[in-house]
Amino acid sequence: MTDFPWRKPLDDDWGAQIAEIEATLSAGGVPDYARTKALANQRLGMREQLKVERLAARMRGRGQQGFTPFKIGLLGSRTLSYLAAPLAAAGLARGLMVEVQEAPYNSVARFAFSAPTFFEGALDAVLVVLDESALGRAPRLLDAAAEDEALRQATSLVDAIAAAARSRNGCPVIVATQPPPLQIAAADIATPGSAARFNLRVNMMLADGAAEGRWLLWDQAALAAWVGLERWLDPISFHAAKVPFNVQMCPLAADNIAGILAAMKGKAARALVLDLDNTLWGGVIGDDGIGGIRLGQNSPEGEAFVAFQNFVLSLRDRGAVLAVCSKNDEAVARMPFANHPDMILREQHFAVFQANWNDKATNISSIAQALNLGLESLAYVDDNPAERERVRQELPLVATIEVGEDPSFFIERIARSGVFQHLALNADDLARASSYESFARAADIRTQLGNYDDYLRSLEMQMTISPFDAVGRPRIVQLVNKSNQFNLTTRRYNEEDIRKMQEGADVFGWQVRLDDRFAQHGMIGVVIVRERAAEWEIDSWLQSCRVLERGVEQCMMNTLFTAASAAKVERVVARYIPTDRNQMVADFYTRFGFEVTKRHEDSSVEFLCPVPAYKPKPVFIETNLNL
Amino acid sequence: MSIHNAYLTQVADIMRDLFDEHTGPITEATTARDIAQWDSLSHVRFMALVEQEFGIRFTTAEVQTFTNLGSLIDALIKRKS
Repeated sequence: MTDFPWRKPLDDDWGAQIAEIEATLSAGGVPDYARTKALANQRLGMREQLKVERLAARMRGRGQQGFTPFKIGLLGSRTLSYLAAPLAAAGLARGLMVEVQEAPYNSVARFAFSAPTFFEGALDAVLVVLDESALGRAPRLLDAAAEDEALRQATSLVDAIAAAARSRNGCPVIVATQPPPLQIAAADIATPGSAARFNLRVNMMLADGAAEGRWLLWDQAALAAWVGLERWLDPISFHAAKVPFNVQMCPLAADNIAGILAAMKGKAARALVLDLDNTLWGGVIGDDGIGGIRLGQNSPEGEAFVAFQNFVLSLRDRGAVLAVCSKNDEAVARMPFANHPDMILREQHFAVFQANWNDKATNISSIAQALNLGLESLAYVDDNPAERERVRQELPLVATIEVGEDPSFFIERIARSGVFQHLALNADDLARASSYESFARAADIRTQLGNYDDYLRSLEMQMTISPFDAVGRPRIVQLVNKSNQFNLTTRRYNEEDIRKMQEGADVFGWQVRLDDRFAQHGMIGVVIVRERAAEWEIDSWLQSCRVLERGVEQCMMNTLFTAASAAKVERVVARYIPTDRNQMVADFYTRFGFEVTKRHEDSSVEFLCPVPAYKPKPVFIETNLNL
Repeated sequence: MSIHNAYLTQVADIMRDLFDEHTGPITEATTARDIAQWDSLSHVRFMALVEQEFGIRFTTAEVQTFTNLGSLIDALIKRKS
C-alpha cells in the first residue's frame, strides 16, 4: 500500500536516474528542474524517501536551481525534528527549495512571550504544532467556566506566537489543528472539561482565527482522520522521543504541509484539464453514442461519474478553470454536454474545449496558451495510463494526477494530491473561473470584430484604482508574490510589508480592479511608489496576465502621471529587473516614453520620465478613482 | 546464508542509507557509539525503518535497548520465528 496513491508509480530505473542527478551535482552542475521535481514526486518507498531527503540536503545552499525558495521555522511543543528532512524532500516534489530552521525543544512559551531569536532573519512561515502540553486543558470535568478560561488562554498563546513571528521574522504562522484524543465515553464531547470536548473547541478556535486572517492552518486533524488515528499516532515513539505523531507518517505530513507552502508561493494548480471518455462518463461517446455511455442512475459506475462531475464543478466554484482535452470529433464530444440529462458539467463551465485527434501534449500546450497560464499551473486528469505517461514525458511540469481507472477513486486522488490546495478563499478567487471563460469568449469576439479599438470599446471596461487597504491586502500579497511575467521588478513583499506601506509616509500603493461586460476580473494590478522630494520611484509594477492588451497599463500610467502632476512631482523614475520570466515587459517603460538613465551589470535598467514630458495614451476604459 | 546473516545484511543496508556518512564496517558488534550519525534522534527513525522493512513492532521497553546491532538481530529472529 502506498501513502501517495495520487503520485506516479516509481520508475523502474528511478535509482539510476537519481544517481545521474547526484553525479551532476558532484560535478558542480545544476540538475534539470523539471526532472528533479518529477523524480521526487513519485511513490517513494522508505529507502527512496531517504535518497530524496539526502538530495534535497545536497541541493540546498547551492542556489535555487529553478526551485522557489521557502524558509520555514518549526516551533512545536513536542519534537518536530523528524519533519525537517521530509519537508525538504516534499518541497522538491512541489517545486520548492525548503530551508528549515528548528526552534529548540520546548521553547513555545519563550518564543511567544520573551524575545529570543530562534530563527535567523526573515522567514516565509513558521509552522506551529502544539498539543496539550502547550495549549493546556480544561482543569475539571463539568466546570464549563474553567473550560472557557482554558480556551481563552490557548487563544492568547496562539495569538502571541503569531504576533512574535510577524514582528521578528516578518511572516505568518501556520498552526496545526490537533487530532482528537481517545474518547472514554461517547458522551465525552458533550461533557465540559473533557479532553475530547476541549480538543474540538481548540480546533474551532484555530479555524476561526484562520478565517479572520490571524494565521494559516495546517489541518493535521483532517489528515490524521484520513490516515486513521491508529496509524497516525504512535505511543511508543511518543514516549521514547516525544514525537507528536508516528515517524513513519512524516513523509505524508511533510507532503501535506508542502502543498500549503506551494499555495503560499502561488504554485498551486489554477486549471484542470479533463479527458472525456471514461473520465467524465463510462464508455466511448463516439462508439457507444449518447444512449450507450454510462452516466447517472443506471449503474454504480454511472453514479461514480456523476459524483466526479459534481466534484469537478466544486473545484470550479473555488476558482479552478476547466478545460477539455479529448481525442474525439468535436461535434461528437459536445453531444453529451448538450443532450445527456445526467450531465452535471455543461459547455459553459469550460473555458477551453479541445476535442480533436492531435497529440494530447500538443493540445495541453495550446490550452495553456489560450488561458495564458504556465504549464505548472495546469493539472491533468485522464483515466488512460498511456496518455498520462505521454503527457508526463512531454510536459513534466503539468501536474498529471494518477487517478487510476476506477471513477470511484478519482475524487480522492485529486483531493489528496493537494494540487488545488489554497489558502483562505477571497471573492476574487471565486470569480476567477468565469473570468478565464470570458477571456476565451472575448478572444472569440476579437476575431470577429477585426478592429482592435472597436473590440476594446465593446468590452465596456471599468477600472477602479484604490490605495492599499485591509480588505484588499490578501489579494495584494498574493499578486505581489505570484506574478512573474508582467512584473517589472519581481520584488516580493509579505503581508506585514504591505500593511506597513499602507501606513507609510514616503510610500504608497495602488490596487487596480477591472470589470467588463463579461466578468468581474477582480484585482488585476498593483503599483507601489516610493516618494522623494521632487521624484516618484516606481518600486513595483505588476499585472495579472488575465487581462493583457486591454489598455490596462496605459490607463494606470496616465493616472499615475496625472497624480504626479497634481502632487507637484518633477519626474518619475523606474527600474526593470530582468528575470527568466518577465521578458514580455523589457520595453515597458520605453514604450511609455521613459529615457534609459543607467544600465547595470546585472542587466537591470533604470528609467526616467519628466512629468511634463509624459504623453497620455489613448484608452477605452472608464476609470473610477478612490484616491 | 543463515537467517542471522540475512537479517544482518538487510539491516546493514538500511543503515547504509540512513547513516550515509559512515564508511566503516557494520557487524553485529556495531553499536551506536561506532556511528556518529546514530544519535537518539536518528535512533527513532532507524527503529521505524526496521519495523517497516520487517513488518513488525517493537515494544516500548525494547526500543531503547537496540543500540547494539547484535541485540536487534536477535530480537528480529525471535519476532519472525
